[in-house]
Amino acid sequence: MHFATYIGRRLLFIAPQLLGIVLVSFLLIKTIPGDPAVLMLGPTATPESIASLRAKMGLDQPIPAQFAIYVKSLLRGDLGTSWQTTKPVLDDLVQRFPATVELVTFGLLMAIAIGVPLGVASAVNPKGWLARVADFYGLSAGAVPDFWLALVFIYVFYTVLGWLPAPLGRIDLSIIPPRQVTGIYTIDALLAHDWQAFVSSASHLVLPVATLGLINAGPILKMTHATVERMLQSDFSRYEVLSGMPRSHVVRSALRNALPSIVTIIGVLYGFLIGGAVLVEIVFSWGGAGQYAVQGVLNSDIYPVLGFVLFSAIFSLVVYLIVDLIYFAIDPRIGH
Amino acid sequence: MRDYLDLAWRIALARPRFALGYFIVAAVTTVALLAPWIAPYSPITADPTRFLEPPSWDHWFGTDAVGMDIFSRTIYAPRVDLTIAILGTLISAVLGSLIGALVGFYSDRRGIRSAVSYGVMRAADVLQAFPVFVFAIALVASLGQSLHTVVLAIAFVNAPIYLRLMRAQVLTIRGMRYVEAAQVAGLSDLHTILRHVIPNAMAPVLAQISVNIGWSILLTSALSFIGAGVRPPTPEWGSMIAMGFQNIVTGQWWPSLYPGLALSVTVFGFALVGSSIEVLADPIKRRALVAELRPRGAAVLHRA
Amino acid sequence: MMSPLSATTPADARARDLLLDVRHLTVEFPTVLGPARIVLQDISFSLVSGEIVGVVGESGAGKTTLARSLLGLPPVPSRIVSGEILFRGRDLRTLRDAELRRIRGKDLSMIVPNPRGELNPLSTVGQQIAAVASVHLSLGRKQARQAALEMLKAVQIPDPARRMDAYPHELSGGMAQRVVIAMALVCSPGFVISDDATSGLDVTVQAQILDLLRTLAETRHSSMLFITRDVGIAAHFCDRIAVIYAGRIMEIAPRQRFFFEPSHPYTIMLLAAFSHSAELRRQWTVPDVRRRTGAGGGCSYADRCPLAQDKCRSVEPALTELAPGQFTRCHFPVVRR
Repeated sequence: MHFATYIGRRLLFIAPQLLGIVLVSFLLIKTIPGDPAVLMLGPTATPESIASLRAKMGLDQPIPAQFAIYVKSLLRGDLGTSWQTTKPVLDDLVQRFPATVELVTFGLLMAIAIGVPLGVASAVNPKGWLARVADFYGLSAGAVPDFWLALVFIYVFYTVLGWLPAPLGRIDLSIIPPRQVTGIYTIDALLAHDWQAFVSSASHLVLPVATLGLINAGPILKMTHATVERMLQSDFSRYEVLSGMPRSHVVRSALRNALPSIVTIIGVLYGFLIGGAVLVEIVFSWGGAGQYAVQGVLNSDIYPVLGFVLFSAIFSLVVYLIVDLIYFAIDPRIGH
Repeated sequence: MRDYLDLAWRIALARPRFALGYFIVAAVTTVALLAPWIAPYSPITADPTRFLEPPSWDHWFGTDAVGMDIFSRTIYAPRVDLTIAILGTLISAVLGSLIGALVGFYSDRRGIRSAVSYGVMRAADVLQAFPVFVFAIALVASLGQSLHTVVLAIAFVNAPIYLRLMRAQVLTIRGMRYVEAAQVAGLSDLHTILRHVIPNAMAPVLAQISVNIGWSILLTSALSFIGAGVRPPTPEWGSMIAMGFQNIVTGQWWPSLYPGLALSVTVFGFALVGSSIEVLADPIKRRALVAELRPRGAAVLHRA
Repeated sequence: MMSPLSATTPADARARDLLLDVRHLTVEFPTVLGPARIVLQDISFSLVSGEIVGVVGESGAGKTTLARSLLGLPPVPSRIVSGEILFRGRDLRTLRDAELRRIRGKDLSMIVPNPRGELNPLSTVGQQIAAVASVHLSLGRKQARQAALEMLKAVQIPDPARRMDAYPHELSGGMAQRVVIAMALVCSPGFVISDDATSGLDVTVQAQILDLLRTLAETRHSSMLFITRDVGIAAHFCDRIAVIYAGRIMEIAPRQRFFFEPSHPYTIMLLAAFSHSAELRRQWTVPDVRRRTGAGGGCSYADRCPLAQDKCRSVEPALTELAPGQFTRCHFPVVRR
């Protein structure tokens, strides 16, 4: 079918999916104990002021009505206000989401750089020592907690060796962040030709990216290995060997056929990590969106949580759409 | 009986990693059970005069910031972590599999059942689109923080996995002849499911359970790390790591290192056990493994 | 020492090249329980340049194993355990992988059945043929593409220029088979193995493919080993025909003798299946009851042979020459008086 029709159809489905997600998170959040009005006004609030704030926030209405109010404000672009930061959730997220995206994207790139080559190498030479190493790595990467690995790295590279900066955020406290274009410090610093800011933000990225990269290389490695191995055992691969094609060609065509599965897992991981990098964000005081949401839950601050869920859901859906488009480009059998 | 032991020994020799996995799981479980007798100190008594002491003969793993012995706490912790992880995983496996089997079985009959099946699958989709971690925290927060709620949160988060797994298995098996034969013979649906469908779908589910337990331990400790899981002073690996967090920067590595090591090794063991079940429960892979053994191993299986 | 099964007298064989000389090839299939099952037992035959030899047998007789073993790639998990495969005088079993890769596809190639499953789904047909040409003939991209186009024309694919850019799943079975033939022949190999190249195709398409193969073999001076389940097809153009049963050669004879004076009961049964006489079929056909594993003494065909006697069940017959060029593995071959 036509490219445009395909995209159109997918986009059409995004709206109801998002609605479903918002509904579920709304209901879930509503069950969290804690009265937002009380929290916002503090311990010295009078019962009258609490009551009037509740009325203003619509908290005295039945749940379906509250949901309708929320959705209406969503459509206006109002995601509510966080009582902790006292700022609109939308602004908070716009500031924090790029931090998470930067961290997760670089981490994922590193995971791909480690996982795919190791996976291919171990599939091509299943009895070699590299295959054993890859196997062990795949299992260990899934067993080590990311927050602990982060602490180990901090101890070695900051406390003992002093090569890298303290885990206190994205950039040295003494350096002013670059002018916001994308919200991603490294890119913005490059765009603004601010070398100092670039070096500082990049050095702060090293340890958290290494943590995420090393651990998430595991699932990518496993999937790459399994799929490439399957392709090498398929009829068409054996036929290429039968025709005397050189090893490099056989491996390359097996890898190409394995790409859909590999791209899928990368996409799934990407969506997962937006919320899944929370612990690393917390350890490094990253100021990311996941950390923001967790603080919201722990403090009964509901709008940040809802806002974060919405952002990450949209992000995931966009990623899955891109993954499907990649399939479209790679595999000539789809869409015919 | 001796023949089975012999076979087990030969499998262990052929695949030392399986043996390692079972050993780790057995060792951790044993240590956890025997902790009250092995631990040199009480896991929750603090001695403020001896805080942050490095590892020594007195305190093998050192002491933490309030003076509790880290070794004792490290070996007491699996009592909590394993219990939560195993209970949570089993609950999710049983419930998820049952619902998944029903969904798979009814998914293209006409009428209410099929509509409900469809609805359940879409609900599972939405649940899985949630950021897992935030969801787990929200569940614990909404249900009140206690051991039971952590178990429930683990169960809830993992259930969709078993639901999908079972459903996929059921859909495959349902198309097979002997199931059709059973239905033609007039057996009730429930009977068919229980006797024919579920036993054949078990293999991947069993392998998944072991890996899941490992993952649930990680999730439990992650929740405890940020304070939304098990609360101190109950010994739990994640909360111990959190307690040692600040000390890392000032150079005291031992409060966080040992619990994290213990955690990693345990999860690693469960992952190995999971991969062993994957091989042993799948008839094709099992045969390939047995073929590698010396002929005696094959003869045992032949007789079995 | 020369194989006793060459088509011609020793003097002639010395004069023309022995293109392929297979000696005592044995292939086994390891089983989970018990000893390995023998798939091919003591296979010996040879081929000279310009010959087309047919190999006929039923499913499971070992035909595909033979085809792939000749290329050094027996289907996993089978293993070659003994024997020599002399191709132009060199034993393929002693060559290193790099050497074998040079030979495969270039001097010795194979046409496979089920073509759509054996072609890379992500490459166009033209790219795949061109790849083979460019690797083995060291052609540049444009030349390789040209060679692929020429080959597609030679296999008579309609509208070859457009089909070059088609993907395997877009082709019908017959067209995919032609593509595989094109791939096997693009380097004009001296020897082509055709494994069941026409199974699964419509009868009319089968006939076209067979004609095509014969023409190509003649114009490119390729010798061919033509493997099939269908004795009738072998009649189409094979110079000599061998019959395989349970991994052993039961009979091998030149075409005339094969059809007019078959000597092995199994050969007769295969031919009788084509006969109009139901009586004849019944006379020579005993249904296969037990699965032969190649173990135990005696002729492997004894269970199904209407002429079997005690000696047949205890002593395995050897391949003996009945007439010039005709060899039979039977204690009591049928000979016309």
